[in-house]
Amino acid sequence: MAANPASARHAAGVYRRSIGAYLRSIAEYPADFWVMAISGTFWQIVLFAFLSILFDNVNAIAGWGYHEMLILAGFLATSWGSTALFWDGIWDTGKLIIEGDMDYRITRPAPVLIQVASKHVGMQVFGDVTIGVLMMTVGWIGAGISAAAIPLALFLLLCAAVIQASLLTIANAANFWMKGRTPVVAFMLAELQNESMRFPLTIFPAAVRLIFTFGLPLAFASFIPVQIITGKLDLWWLAAPPIAAAATALLAVLAYRAGLKAYDSAGH
Amino acid sequence: MTFTPTAIRRAFDLDLALTAIAFKRRAAYKTQWLVGSLIGGTELLTSLALWSAVLAERGEVGGYDWDAMRTYYVLAFITATITFAGTEGLTAQRILDGMVAIDLLKPVDFQRARAAEYTGGVLGNLPTLGVGLTVSVLFLAPLPPVSFTAGALALLSVVLGVPLSFGLMFLSTMLCFWTRSYHGIMWSRRTITAFFSGLMVPLALMPAGLQAVVGWLPFVHIATTPSNIYLGRVDTAGALGLVALEAAWCVALWFIGRVLWNRAIKVVTVHGG
Repeated sequence: MAANPASARHAAGVYRRSIGAYLRSIAEYPADFWVMAISGTFWQIVLFAFLSILFDNVNAIAGWGYHEMLILAGFLATSWGSTALFWDGIWDTGKLIIEGDMDYRITRPAPVLIQVASKHVGMQVFGDVTIGVLMMTVGWIGAGISAAAIPLALFLLLCAAVIQASLLTIANAANFWMKGRTPVVAFMLAELQNESMRFPLTIFPAAVRLIFTFGLPLAFASFIPVQIITGKLDLWWLAAPPIAAAATALLAVLAYRAGLKAYDSAGH
Repeated sequence: MTFTPTAIRRAFDLDLALTAIAFKRRAAYKTQWLVGSLIGGTELLTSLALWSAVLAERGEVGGYDWDAMRTYYVLAFITATITFAGTEGLTAQRILDGMVAIDLLKPVDFQRARAAEYTGGVLGNLPTLGVGLTVSVLFLAPLPPVSFTAGALALLSVVLGVPLSFGLMFLSTMLCFWTRSYHGIMWSRRTITAFFSGLMVPLALMPAGLQAVVGWLPFVHIATTPSNIYLGRVDTAGALGLVALEAAWCVALWFIGRVLWNRAIKVVTVHGG
């Protein structure tokens, strides 16, 4: 694929139509939409309740107060949740490989990664992101952060979403080699993030912190951006999330390409 | 039917066969076994890191000191491994793709068959549990039970958690007769179960009003009841009462499941033949 403006525009057009088609299909199955949206809400509400209960009993965790923790939880919910909106199809990679369905994507004149990622929208995103934004708002106001930092937060959210989509892509690309319907590595990544990244990394031993920052750059997708927003890190750290986003995006594209080269169909 | 040993054994042949199949299926997927261990282990370690940080400053929260909290989460790990045995996907998929029509033709009680499969799945989880428990005991040094009776009653409560979890799972699977996708239902059930059972945070930390309400729901018996008995937070009489309540919920959920099933098969839509 040549990296020129025409092909980029074409890819963007394919993406837009593909996702648009799926979003229109939501109207056909409203019960499913509501079940998924509400289930997304449940998890975030439970997290909100968990933090409230926790801080009913303690004042701070590793120097982080209730409102700062809410910003962290809300930021993670919004950035991770948004991958379900714009990149959810990637979870089907394993299934496409096993069933040989990948062939159709390869033969079409559009980038395979774009086609796969845009084939599905996880409707739980509407619940996830709504509550995530609510948590961030409550935390933001409670922590007394000024409204002037909102553009900063939006930029950091965008970088975070790119990092998470990229890591998700790499994790799902593992299925090109570890054949199987279920994206085992991707599930583990999702679980790991949902369990551990809700809390400030300072509660973990140093080795774990290093792994989450430089091994699996999950810290750049939640912990570091929120530290910047709450002023715990100096503003020159602002350079880090976009660099991490660009690096992980490049790795994701390379990983998927390597996977496609290793792909042998299931036969038809 | 005469009650000879052979006749009794034959009555359960089908259940045993289904349990064995489900067990083998679970044991065959070694990656799932590994993933289950890693995920459960991560949850345990994250909770411990959190409470270690908190209790280092405060010493005690909600009546739990560091020893008790550590023990609480090891017990939660054990009960979670049993509760989330994961055979629901198969049942849900059969309802969603219409294969349940074939199950309706079989001379087999649907609920009882699924219960047997669930038991097989739980048994298939025992290796994960064994490894996790060994590692926890070696590295985390949880407290022993306050007394032999407490330990025995806690174990009974954990064992009763299997039919209890099945009951909850079966009810949520029934919802597939009315929706097209199971993921949302499964996530909601797991979230609600994790929160109201105390697997996420000890119920003792919740506001008193909420605790009173939650105490009457079935979820609490999954994690809180066994650990309350084990840690001696209730006396023997209280423990017996809790176990009785848990057993009552097992029976109630079984019958509610049967009622829902009888209604659901009247509304089932199977696409195509």
